[in-house]
Amino acid sequence: MSEIILNGRKVKVRKGEFLLAVARREGIEIPTLCQHDAVEPAGACRLCLVEVTRPEWEGWSKLVTSCLFPAEDGLIVSTDSAPVHKTRKGILELLMARSPNAVPVRELARQYGIEQCPYPVQHDGDNCILCDICTRVCQNLVTGAISRIDRGVGKRVATPFAEPSTDCVGCLACAKSCPTAAIPYEDEGLRRTIWGKTFEVASCAGCGAPTVTAEQAAWIEQSKGVSREDQLVCDRCKAQKTAAAYQKLAW
Amino acid sequence: MVSKLMHVTPSKCTVCRNCELACAFSHMHGGKPTAARIRAFADDQQREGHHAVVVCMQCEEAGCVKACPAHALWRNPETGAIYHVEARCIRCQSCVAGCPFGNMRWEAAMEFPTKCDLCDGDPVCVKFCPTGALEHR
Amino acid sequence: MKLTLANIDGYRQELVTQRKELQSIMVCCGTGCRARNGLGVAEAMGEALEAAGLGDEVKVELTSTGCHGWCEQGPIVTIEPDGVFYTNVKPEHAGEIVAGFQSGHPVQKLLYRDLTTRERKVTYHEVPFYSHQTRWAMRNVGRISPTEIDHYIARDGYKALAKVLAGMSPAEVVDEVAKAGLRGRGGGGFDAGRKWRSAARASGSPKYIICNGDEGDPGAFMDRSIMEADPHGVLEGMIIGAYAIGATQGYIYVRQEYPLAVKHLEQAMADAREMGLLGEQILGSDFSFEIKIARGGGAFVCGESSALMRSIEGKVGEPRAKYVHAADKGLFDRPTVLNNVETFICVPLILDKGAEHFAATGTAGSKGTKAFSVVGKVNCNGLIEVPMGTTLRELIFDVAGGVPKGRTFKAVQTGGPSGGCLPESQLDLAVDFDTLADAGSMMGSGGLIVMDDRNCLVDVARYFVKFLVDESCGKCVPCREGLKQMLAILSRITQGEGRTEDLVAIDKLCDVLKDGSLCALGKSAANPVLSTLKYFRSEYEEHIRDGFCRAGVCGKLCSYHINEKCTGCAVCAKVCPVTCISGEKKELHVIDQGPCIQCGSCFDACRFDAIEIRSAP
Repeated sequence: MSEIILNGRKVKVRKGEFLLAVARREGIEIPTLCQHDAVEPAGACRLCLVEVTRPEWEGWSKLVTSCLFPAEDGLIVSTDSAPVHKTRKGILELLMARSPNAVPVRELARQYGIEQCPYPVQHDGDNCILCDICTRVCQNLVTGAISRIDRGVGKRVATPFAEPSTDCVGCLACAKSCPTAAIPYEDEGLRRTIWGKTFEVASCAGCGAPTVTAEQAAWIEQSKGVSREDQLVCDRCKAQKTAAAYQKLAW
Repeated sequence: MVSKLMHVTPSKCTVCRNCELACAFSHMHGGKPTAARIRAFADDQQREGHHAVVVCMQCEEAGCVKACPAHALWRNPETGAIYHVEARCIRCQSCVAGCPFGNMRWEAAMEFPTKCDLCDGDPVCVKFCPTGALEHR
Repeated sequence: MKLTLANIDGYRQELVTQRKELQSIMVCCGTGCRARNGLGVAEAMGEALEAAGLGDEVKVELTSTGCHGWCEQGPIVTIEPDGVFYTNVKPEHAGEIVAGFQSGHPVQKLLYRDLTTRERKVTYHEVPFYSHQTRWAMRNVGRISPTEIDHYIARDGYKALAKVLAGMSPAEVVDEVAKAGLRGRGGGGFDAGRKWRSAARASGSPKYIICNGDEGDPGAFMDRSIMEADPHGVLEGMIIGAYAIGATQGYIYVRQEYPLAVKHLEQAMADAREMGLLGEQILGSDFSFEIKIARGGGAFVCGESSALMRSIEGKVGEPRAKYVHAADKGLFDRPTVLNNVETFICVPLILDKGAEHFAATGTAGSKGTKAFSVVGKVNCNGLIEVPMGTTLRELIFDVAGGVPKGRTFKAVQTGGPSGGCLPESQLDLAVDFDTLADAGSMMGSGGLIVMDDRNCLVDVARYFVKFLVDESCGKCVPCREGLKQMLAILSRITQGEGRTEDLVAIDKLCDVLKDGSLCALGKSAANPVLSTLKYFRSEYEEHIRDGFCRAGVCGKLCSYHINEKCTGCAVCAKVCPVTCISGEKKELHVIDQGPCIQCGSCFDACRFDAIEIRSAP
């Protein structure tokens, strides 16, 4: 067990644990926009910056992203010092200029006292803040149908060549894990459209309710070993079947 | 370690639906019984002793856990319950598809899956079951 | 033939004896000289030699070299061992060169003419551009054929490797590199010995060694020159490095734009493999090591080590936080050492001549020599390698021949887009990793862009920011969004729409970039702006307050006028691309401000100082 000083308080940490996790466990709030527990940290939004120093650094300190910085014995961390606050505010101003309609951005900007963005605001700006949660989710957890393409200000999230992807299984995980709801999709009845590809959602064998897409069911069967038959029945009908089995057992 | 499990005795169930209500209220679905994580099914012919209650059995080799690509379903070693960890969930519904017993539910309004977590080891539904059809032992 | 630790020295001795009697006519076929028909010259030389029928008594070899680092004088032909140095050779000169070779009287008109004395210099040892240099990293550049392994071996090639494998432990090799004080030549200046030591101690296998040849700084081409001209030197450095840290696989990451470097490296690897210098059981020892070439896709950011590793892994070339060092978790999350081309090529030298020899040259904190790519407003554009601690003034004025056309030196940009612009007052700075950083710039990979009074520093800052906007990977917010806003502000200033509060906004953006960015590219992206603001603030203020660009670059902030010094020679009228200058012969000419596009061609062409730059009407 190691020990760090977090905002003036001694805190026990496991070696290698990331500072963000330590802070959250201690009830200290650190803003993030690109952090998602299901995927590895990326350090893209830079909002989780904290100031770290050590006694032997003789007063020198640096700003590091807490989502990626491993806790190590003797580290002195401040999560809301003046330089931290100033840099976070500077980053939020830049995000406000890009995505003024993104709810979490506006909320954080308000918290950090940004009344007016110092840069020209793109009022019709893209809600996508390139946090890369969707791409990390898709690439690391699902089928890797989307990726970050191009670079710099032109960077965006897309399928290869921005064409309907053969890899996409229509699970909507990208859109639903997006913190700013920036990925458009349609999901009506048995039709689902995302990334330019339209899927048919399999209807429940029992009642006809939508379940998952045939593509997703095939992927789950293949990669997770869960039979497709079970998947294409809705939860209520499955429960009813379970009930019927109980009733039979009881008799 | 063998944890306590939910036991259902169909012959004792009267389909009073107290369990559904208790679950819905304790899990903050505004008491909407259709959102409960436990379901009571009446026998087609309304025969006494033929009703049944369906609730997550916290399977040893659980379909929901197997199907989840994000490792968002974790077993609490103390209670034996499989928890849905909200911060890890990517809302792909694979778990709903993966559970063969229909005990993983999709809460459409919240775009979230829900499941029985044994109320952290002290299931409310059991307390409200008037006939002892539900037991946690 | 397979070389072993037992026979390599004998083999080399044989080669040296053979080559002693040989005269070599060497035609530069580097990328620059090829662009100027170097291959045509090589072919013509072959025909001329055949036609001359030199007979058996003269032992002559016609061969090609890699880039000499002075492409503006190319195609270059040298004759070794005397070192006769011909510049600007055309195929039709081949006959004369062969005749001169036979007679012993060099062709005068093809010899380099000294800038000040106007004398012809016969050998490159006499040419100031070369005589002022200490070529260690470039020791074989232009002196050997890059495709002939024997040329390399004859010049003590693979001698260090044999020494290492015969009698040094990996730890001893690391110690020697550490003792030499070798610092990474790619930009960071990190202690190579320390890096190697951590990788050698790190647990995890396999371990990797990577050579970074993704030279991306505008105007820099020393790594290209080295890879093209001395590929075996790079390989030898890597093989020794691999032995030192226990790596079994190496990668050379070469940028897309360097096909010739790839070709030469591939040939070198094949030859080295065939002779037992690469692959299984190198030189008959127990040590095995393989190298693969990875080609970049043309992204500047892939020169950043962590992005480069992602690129080799086949992922999007984006940097990662380096809180965990590559020496512990690098390529494929395995212990990895990544060094630059120039760093690796110093390694055989250190092990051959000893750490003390290497460390005896240079400054307290930076040992050895450094290759610079000196370009811009200097008389001699090219690669200059000098000991660390050489002043900027010596580099720019003594070696590179100073600022052309009698113009005044204004600034030198060091370290590429991540570096800074230093003014006249900093010219006596003894250049090393630390002094440049202290002055607000950086060594970077060694690019030096010299600017005179016709360069607008606000525009230069805008240029570099534009470069970085285009090349930012876009992963993190400060670099992606911050540079975009910075460019908007700088563009506004150069367009004459600057506001007084803009300088405050720039300062603030620089802070966010420096403190907030993920990788070194973003963190240092503010340098061109900060350094120009520090040393040339008055120019910014002039642009904003007075609406005037004194360099005559920002078209909306200047106008060109002809004064009474005009002799009516009409040269200006001839060069004007929009023909807006008129006047009778031998009479004062006039610029019509309407169609004038402020290109400054007239200003540069006028020999009488008759063109003036004033603020816009």
